[in-house]
Amino acid sequence: MLRISVMACSRGVAKRFMSSMSGESSLPSNLRLPSNLVDPSRTKRPPPPADSSLPIIRTCDSSVPTHLSPLLTWVESLAAQQGDPVGLAQLHPDVFAVPSRLDILHQVEVWQRSYKRISYANTKVRSEVRGGGRKPWRQKGSGRARVGSIRSPLWRGGGVSHGPRGPTSYYYMLPMKVRVMGLKVALSSKLAQDYLYVVESLDLPTPDPLYILDLLRQRHWGQSLLIVDACDELPENLLQATANLKTVNVIPAIGLNVHSMLKHEAVVLTLAAVRFLESKLLWHDERYTPLYPFKMPYSDLP
Amino acid sequence: MSACFTLRSKMMHRVLRCAFQLPGPSVIRLQPMCVAVGEHNPPCGTLETTEEYVFVERLIPPTRVPVPPRHDGPAPSGWAPPSDVPPSLPYMVRRSRMHNIPVYTDISHGNRRTTVVRRVEGDIWALDGAVRELLKRLTGTDRPTQVNEVTMSIRIKGHYDKEIKEWLMQKGF
Repeated sequence: MLRISVMACSRGVAKRFMSSMSGESSLPSNLRLPSNLVDPSRTKRPPPPADSSLPIIRTCDSSVPTHLSPLLTWVESLAAQQGDPVGLAQLHPDVFAVPSRLDILHQVEVWQRSYKRISYANTKVRSEVRGGGRKPWRQKGSGRARVGSIRSPLWRGGGVSHGPRGPTSYYYMLPMKVRVMGLKVALSSKLAQDYLYVVESLDLPTPDPLYILDLLRQRHWGQSLLIVDACDELPENLLQATANLKTVNVIPAIGLNVHSMLKHEAVVLTLAAVRFLESKLLWHDERYTPLYPFKMPYSDLP
Repeated sequence: MSACFTLRSKMMHRVLRCAFQLPGPSVIRLQPMCVAVGEHNPPCGTLETTEEYVFVERLIPPTRVPVPPRHDGPAPSGWAPPSDVPPSLPYMVRRSRMHNIPVYTDISHGNRRTTVVRRVEGDIWALDGAVRELLKRLTGTDRPTQVNEVTMSIRIKGHYDKEIKEWLMQKGF
């Protein structure tokens, strides 16, 4: 599907185009647009209005600061392919409406890629290459350049002077609060770009993978989907349907990470996952610095 | 350790009490983690109980910073809570996790003094203008400031933390 800012040839679209590029004429007459062009502003559902009639299924557990108000999103259902939202959910602004810090997202993404990296590239230095102990010819009088060993880096077959040396580890840890901020920024960006969907439960009617792909296409959710749940057992239908799909993946809420969120276009959270993420991410805003590692017992870990 | 004590059921505890009928204070015996449930053979003359574990649990520290108790006006130290109604200004300065005003001083190279106002939300340039006016009134000179829109913080040349903290507290942030 082609998504470009120049929309299909309709009057409303032409007006939008004119307003964004003022001073220029409307669409050129010999413009040829492909037939499978998609207008994202017409396919995605707008955010819920303040006076919506649907019930608020989920309110924020933690207290929202007085100068901010909780965000409202639709709560959808996966039972029917073309379903209407079931209700509304409140999302905490300190997790889902954080200012977009692209530098932190970049830092966390680079860290995720490199902290596990061990590069096994290794080359031999002139002392490690087999041979090269004897001086090939005498220092003076032969007319040739002076030479100490046949494995000098200047020679063919000699050692490498400044090559990679042994397994090198690129392990480092970003501060905990930076990694937490990265998750918050990623969730906020997904919500701001209309790629975050809240679902009340992950019960599918069939274990057919095509059902999910059709659902994605009909609801215009995106090319790839990341489903996040926070429960002990995932529904069988969902696991079977997504087992062989490359673009739709299911992860538990503890496995949520910035790289997966950036890799998949749309992210689906269940209400349980939203509650889990809010409690874990908001705890970092009001915690003490650790007396001993948080892996050991404290009285009120989230 | 806590897993060992929770494994001992109340039933076994009552049975042991009846079997050994000892007067005097009950004794906690610390078992190593490798002892499985069911292979429990305490030597004669000892009693196992789990009620005293409360004293261990209340020593384990909390992780969250507590909300300060209700104050009407400033505390003796000079600290004052933020006003219940946030001030109707285009900017907002949130408190730190220890409920203090986020104004900090910094020194680099031994002589370069700066003041940083962090945790700004909203229109940071309006706050920048207000801070410049305040310092112009207090010092008579234009203090250079640097606004960082990415981190939402303002860096001011010179140490003015006390003045800016008082001013922000008086505004109700």
